[in-house]
Amino acid sequence: MHIPDGFLDMNIAIIYYILTAIVIGICIYKINKGGIDEKRVPIAGLVAAGIFAAQMLNWPIPGGTSAHFVGGAVAAIILGPFLGCIAMVSVVTIQALLFGDGGITALGTNLFSMAIVDVFVAYYIYRTLSKKNTKIAAFVAGWIGITLGAINTGIATGLSSTFQYSITTTVPIMGIWHGALGIIEGLITVAIVSYIEKNRKDLLFDSNNWKNKTRGGKR
Amino acid sequence: MSLKEFITEHKQALLVILVAIILSPLFALAADAVGYSEPLEKSAEHLGAEENPIYGGILPDYSVPGIDSPIGTFLASLLGSLVTLIIVFGITKVIKGRNN
Repeated sequence: MHIPDGFLDMNIAIIYYILTAIVIGICIYKINKGGIDEKRVPIAGLVAAGIFAAQMLNWPIPGGTSAHFVGGAVAAIILGPFLGCIAMVSVVTIQALLFGDGGITALGTNLFSMAIVDVFVAYYIYRTLSKKNTKIAAFVAGWIGITLGAINTGIATGLSSTFQYSITTTVPIMGIWHGALGIIEGLITVAIVSYIEKNRKDLLFDSNNWKNKTRGGKR
Repeated sequence: MSLKEFITEHKQALLVILVAIILSPLFALAADAVGYSEPLEKSAEHLGAEENPIYGGILPDYSVPGIDSPIGTFLASLLGSLVTLIIVFGITKVIKGRNN
């Protein structure tokens, strides 16, 4: 899902850079205003490091077409949408700058797919469905988050000349393949979230706690 | 929080990350063996789009130049995880505001 350099038209790349920068700005503002408990600082680092390591594990599916865990849903569920977004922004940026995975011109677009669409879609799905069943909620969050992230990659490439502006081809290829492979993302997400919920529920992001803190203002 | 407290408090998470790092060379070999490619590459191939690399990174493609690939992959995983941990820890500390 990491778009390399050369795939995107420059105007598309720039638009995504701007959109991504705006969302990152909002996230930092929200985090700063809401405040984060000191003990969640190392947890953010650990979640991001874990996601980086897990992304190293390409699924060896016979036949070739495959993917790897992305982790936007895990970041969103453990860290909340804003800090989860910042964690994913860091992972994807490090992948590009240190390892050349994903292009420099495409970084804004890759961040939009994996750190914004994946994270926020997963977060709101989880928040809605977890009232009924947290396991189903985590699965669907992981699955749909990654599928919509991939569809964004399909949109960005499909609006570019190198892909012959063939958005009606790129979106179905990305959506259908990652929709199928995304089931694995969903299963990994539910495994991680269930384990943490059972053993260290204190580590999970608590939106009520966040809202109370935000509403309470400075203390 | 001292480093020792951090390790004690988050032993399990650190262990899980370490296992993923240790497994990464095996997964890299397995991915090679099955001809790993992603849907995006499929889409590019279908429409004749070609990459135009302008920057390879410091450790290109999760390898360490000059070191055999399984060990290179392991070192890249280890370094990447460590850098990510430190950077996100630092960023969160800076932007977290002053609640509590």
